[in-house]
Amino acid sequence: MRPITNTDIQIAVCGSAGDGTIATGDILNQAMARAGYRVIAFDVYPAEIRGFGECIACTRITSEQVYSLKQQSDVLVSLNDAHAIAHVPEVRDYGAIIYDDAPITTLKEGAHISGHIKPGQLPYGLPMREISERATSAGKSRNMVALGFVAGLYGLPREAFHQTIAAKFKGKAAAITEGNVRAFDAGYEEGAATFQLDTVRLGAPIESGTGAIVISGNRAIVRGCLDAKVGTFFGYPITPATTILEMLAAQLPRQGGRVLQTEDEIAAIGATIGAGYAGVRAATATSGPGLALMTEMMGLGVMAEVPCVIFVSQRGGPSTGMPTKTEQSDLNLAVYGGSGDAPRIVLAPTNVEGCYKCAGKAFELAEKYQTPVIVLLDLYLSNRLEAVTLPVKSPFAPNLAKGISTRDRAGDYARFALTDDYISPRALPGQEGGIHTVTGLEHTEAGRPKDTPEVHTKMTEKRHKKLASAVRHPELTIAKRFGDAGKVDVGILAWGSTFGEALEAMLEARREGIRCAAMKVVMLSPLPVEVIRSFCDDCREILVPELNYQGQFANLVTAATARAVHRLNRVSGRPMHVEDIVIEIRRLGGGTRQIAAA
Amino acid sequence: MSGTSELPEPVYLEEKLKEIQGTGRLKYRSKALPTWCPGCGYFSMTEGVASAMNKLGIASKDTVIVSGIGCASRFPFFMNAYGFHSLHGRTLPVATGIKLANDRLTVIVVGGDGDGFAIGGGHIPHAARRNVDITYLLFDNGIYGLTKGQVSPTSVLGFKTKTSPYDNRDLPLNPLMMLLSYRASWVGQAYAGHPHHLTDMIAEAIAHRGFSYLHILSPCVTFDKTSMTYQNLGLAVRDLPANHDSSDLMAAMAQAMDPSSPALGVFYQEDRPTLGDAMDETIRAAGGKVQEQAAVA
Repeated sequence: MRPITNTDIQIAVCGSAGDGTIATGDILNQAMARAGYRVIAFDVYPAEIRGFGECIACTRITSEQVYSLKQQSDVLVSLNDAHAIAHVPEVRDYGAIIYDDAPITTLKEGAHISGHIKPGQLPYGLPMREISERATSAGKSRNMVALGFVAGLYGLPREAFHQTIAAKFKGKAAAITEGNVRAFDAGYEEGAATFQLDTVRLGAPIESGTGAIVISGNRAIVRGCLDAKVGTFFGYPITPATTILEMLAAQLPRQGGRVLQTEDEIAAIGATIGAGYAGVRAATATSGPGLALMTEMMGLGVMAEVPCVIFVSQRGGPSTGMPTKTEQSDLNLAVYGGSGDAPRIVLAPTNVEGCYKCAGKAFELAEKYQTPVIVLLDLYLSNRLEAVTLPVKSPFAPNLAKGISTRDRAGDYARFALTDDYISPRALPGQEGGIHTVTGLEHTEAGRPKDTPEVHTKMTEKRHKKLASAVRHPELTIAKRFGDAGKVDVGILAWGSTFGEALEAMLEARREGIRCAAMKVVMLSPLPVEVIRSFCDDCREILVPELNYQGQFANLVTAATARAVHRLNRVSGRPMHVEDIVIEIRRLGGGTRQIAAA
Repeated sequence: MSGTSELPEPVYLEEKLKEIQGTGRLKYRSKALPTWCPGCGYFSMTEGVASAMNKLGIASKDTVIVSGIGCASRFPFFMNAYGFHSLHGRTLPVATGIKLANDRLTVIVVGGDGDGFAIGGGHIPHAARRNVDITYLLFDNGIYGLTKGQVSPTSVLGFKTKTSPYDNRDLPLNPLMMLLSYRASWVGQAYAGHPHHLTDMIAEAIAHRGFSYLHILSPCVTFDKTSMTYQNLGLAVRDLPANHDSSDLMAAMAQAMDPSSPALGVFYQEDRPTLGDAMDETIRAAGGKVQEQAAVA
């Protein structure tokens, strides 16, 4: 066998809620990152807590940076055949399917996965329950037996798994760690003793000791909040943003911050705006339905010029929609939602590291521009796991607020004074010489309610123009181009979680000889129009792939640049397939190749 | 009096002004002139808040007055203090955020019966049970005044308004019973027609550490000529019995049961940890350090 240096293995574990599917995936991710590999992972979990909900934990282990999961896995582990059967076609040819070949009851014909494996796929049956019972005198460690089998079969680093299991169950009874390790080891022995039939190969890791950790998008948001020294956090549980509230409830008090679970989303944003007005860094987190409730208060934040940060993780909509499925259909709500001309800043990170940076930068922007800032994620990015290396020391500015001067204090302080950059000095309650009232009514520079044509025109302009310089905020990537420089045949404009798939697709198309480039747009409002326009000028065709039906980002781009774009829209509730984007690039880029061939 | 021919002592405006200036309460009023209808109970309330702040010696710069939407909207503009004119029904969340951000601030919430018990009804139980250290002055005139006379959650049965032209048939809420059952840690009632008592009650409510709720009865002189008028309210109000025990929740509820004969005074009060105290306890339990909230310079 020729030596393998390049690793690229994707393993999917499929089970029913309660089988320990997600926990298995978690141990696999952490152990492989510990061993020095790149990891990107995504879990699909059901709305049901127990019962018959389908869970899939999917992990891609690589030795080079990748940006998305593959459409087809190399290995499928079935902890529950009834769910896993449907996923057999998602395993590549010569990939492996691992299952329990000693089910607890006699199954009807067609109910066992072994009857569904396609020619070319390679089956490995093992008596998971029996091995678990032998190792731990209980059958419930099937998941660890299966994980051990995978590790043994492919020679994954055993020690890294032992360490990860110990770390995961730290703080619980020692017997729990021991039982899991015994079950893992029993599976490992079984796997190591099995003759490998498939073509899955593990290569060397990139390097060890990079300090990389595997974290989700939501956890990266939390780390960003902690490093930006957020003072108060208010939230109301809603999938897929709940874990942000949960993690901050545990971690923020450790650094002296205050967390409150409010009675609803309106109270959450209301308190966030109250705290922002009083001068501390304040944030809330929600999903689309919660953001819909928050829009009125966001408008108040715009009008009263109060800093606040809102993390939004999108899910399938409208209404209650698909709480555990991903979608990018709240862009319109984030950018335009609410009454009146209400400009705000919207950032949409494209990967887990971006979640950390955008979270911290959101507080800087909110403070500097005295306005609500939305950080827009989606379920796929919130729950996606990536190996990242975060800075040891916080890179975020502790205070960017424009305070009041001695001159402000001495004279008639005007809270909304018109200045060169349209940002007014802001006094905080408790400050001498800064007394003022903020209001949701249109108001004068002094803050007095007034609705004359002159005042409304001038102040509306102020609220818009003050945001113009946000696109030049230091150390914030608002948009970035990848791929071929100069003129290209196909340019992909993408945002949010879908950018990973867009980038993979662009790289694949380049390997096929198509001249193409991809641009990620992180700042959706104010939109960096100049950068986008100059990218568009370089592209013969522009493709905008996104996870919504209406083409909400495509509409934004077309409105800003007057450039017609090709749209690729999917509303399957799943991340976009790289192959779907590649097909579009081939179609759009085909013209010149044919000319070249002729 | 000895003779009917004797005239009362004249009151000279100049002297009266000097007397008012001498009290020092005017420094808590802004230069903006109130926009309420002449005779409105909000004038009593404005004077009451200024006098209470003066009495307690609270610094203007350390006070935030939060209003929602309704005739109370503009209250903060008439006071010399920090003000936040927020959204309809959302005063309590905003005030909670302000207080949690800076414990040193005195936070006073003003609002009407529509703002508090219709659109904002969902927030009251939670501000009360969490014992947020703020003062809620609820001005109840049983009608929507700013939108020119519609039925409210505290309008009496049979009250004709523009939106109940064939009589109001919705049973009115009993706000005091609600607040008592939500365990507000200070519950009192006052009447705009008794301004001195109102001032004392506002001062007590502000001085209370925890969530204080003062229900202020007042007529709407413009849109209600039949129901909660000065005449009707003046005849209906009574003092709480001299032997009322304000630490007895059941006794407080018994006094609150009959809204047709509203009692004035402190119904209930208790000392218990505030939301800020609870948050600090959480921080200590997590091994964090409670941040000293220094005065902002």
